[in-house]
Amino acid sequence: MITAGKYEGQHPLHPKARQILLDAFDQGWADPAQISAQGRQAQGLLLQARESIATSLGLQVGEIEFWGEPELISPVAIWGAPGFGSAPFIYGATERSEIIGMRAKSKQSFEISVDPDGAIDLELLTQTLQPNSIVAIQSANIETGVIQDVKAIAKAVVAQNAHLHIDATASGARFVKPSFWSTLHFDARAWNGPSGVGVFALKNGARWSNPLPHTKPTRAPNSFSIPLALAAAGALEHWIADEATNSARLKSLIERIRNHVKQTISDVDIAGNAQSTLPNIISLSFLNVSSEQLVAALEVEGFSVASGSACVASALEPSHVLKAMGLLTHGNMRINLNHDVQDGEITKLLALLPGIISKLRED
Amino acid sequence: MATELDCRGKRCPLPIIELSKKIKESELGQEVLLISDDPATAADLSAWARMTGNQVKVVSEDNFLITKNT
Repeated sequence: MITAGKYEGQHPLHPKARQILLDAFDQGWADPAQISAQGRQAQGLLLQARESIATSLGLQVGEIEFWGEPELISPVAIWGAPGFGSAPFIYGATERSEIIGMRAKSKQSFEISVDPDGAIDLELLTQTLQPNSIVAIQSANIETGVIQDVKAIAKAVVAQNAHLHIDATASGARFVKPSFWSTLHFDARAWNGPSGVGVFALKNGARWSNPLPHTKPTRAPNSFSIPLALAAAGALEHWIADEATNSARLKSLIERIRNHVKQTISDVDIAGNAQSTLPNIISLSFLNVSSEQLVAALEVEGFSVASGSACVASALEPSHVLKAMGLLTHGNMRINLNHDVQDGEITKLLALLPGIISKLRED
Repeated sequence: MATELDCRGKRCPLPIIELSKKIKESELGQEVLLISDDPATAADLSAWARMTGNQVKVVSEDNFLITKNT
C-alpha cells in the first residue's frame, strides 16, 4: 500500500504491536505510581518497554521518557533548553512548522537556509552560532525525505558548546545519532508503532529543565498510555529485525520511481538527491498540474498519496519546505512507502503516471 | 509593451498554467505582466523560470514581468 506522507502515522500498526497493545490493555492499565499489585505490574512492564526502546535506539535507559503528545516534544524540548527566550534560537528553513513557530517565543531567532537539495547551509550555521545558541535541526524531512548531515552539524554546534535539539521523527530508528546532542525527539509512528507515543531523549549531562508548570521536580509530564508505550517498544523491535531487508527493497523501489519519472515525464522537480534521502520517501512536483486533480486521479486508481501544494493542504500557503528548496510548490505529490508495498503496485503506478500527467496538462 | 495577464483571485496552479499558455502563444522577447495575488505564485514563478528558461522580474508583491526567452 502506498500511503500518504503527510503524517507518518498513516502507516498501519505492526501486527505484533497490535497484539501487544491488546494484551497490555488487559495487564498494564494501572497507574505505575500506585503501590498495588497492579501498579507494580504496570511499573515492571513499563521498565521493560523503556529498556527495549533505549536499546533499540542506542540510548541509555535513563536518557529517555515517553510522552503522550508526540507533537509537543520538539517545542517543549526547545523551550526547556538553557536560556531559551533570550539566547539565539537557530533552526533550519525546512523544519516542522511547530519548531519554526518557536521563533515567536525567542527574542532572537535565525533561520538557516537550505540548498536546492535541501541540505542546511553549514557555513551560515557556523557563522551564526554563538556559545549560548540553541539549535534545532531535523535529521530528515517527512515531506521530501531529505537527510541532514547531523554529524557535521553537531561538530559545528559542539565547537561553540551550544545546545542541539534533533527532530528524528521522520528518520525514526534509521537515525544515526552523532556523538554530540542535547535532546532528541522520536515518534513511534516512524517504526509502525501506534500514534500517541513519542520518545523524548535528554543526553546524560546535558542541561535542560522542564518548562511546563510543575510543583515536584519532574523531567517530563508523564501523561502517556502504558499499553501504547509497550506496543511502541514491540513495534520497534520488529521493525529493526526487518530493517536491512526492507530498507534495501524500498530504496530500490524509490530509485525506480525517480528514474522512470525523469525518463518519461518532462518539467518535473524531484526533491533531494538519491544519496541523501530516506529510502521510503519521494516528493515530485509536476509543472502546470493541479495537485488536487492529481491526487484525485491517483485515488481513483487505488493510490493514496499526499501533497504539499496549497490547493490540497487546505491552507493558503504552499509547503514551506518546497519553497525553501526553490522547488515548484504546485502539482506536488508525496509517496511514502510502507514495508508491505508490493513491487507490482509500483509497476502499476509507473505505468499510469505519465498518462495521468499528460491528460491533466491538456485539460 | 507588455501584455497584461490578470490572475487576481485565481488560486494555484491557475496563474502559472495561464502564464504558460500565454507565453506559448507569444513571440520571443515579448513581455507579459502577470498580476497574481496567490501566495504560491512568487515561489512557483522562480521554479517555472528555472524549468522553462524564461525570465521573471518581480515588479511588486503582486506584479511580475515575464520575458519570453525560449
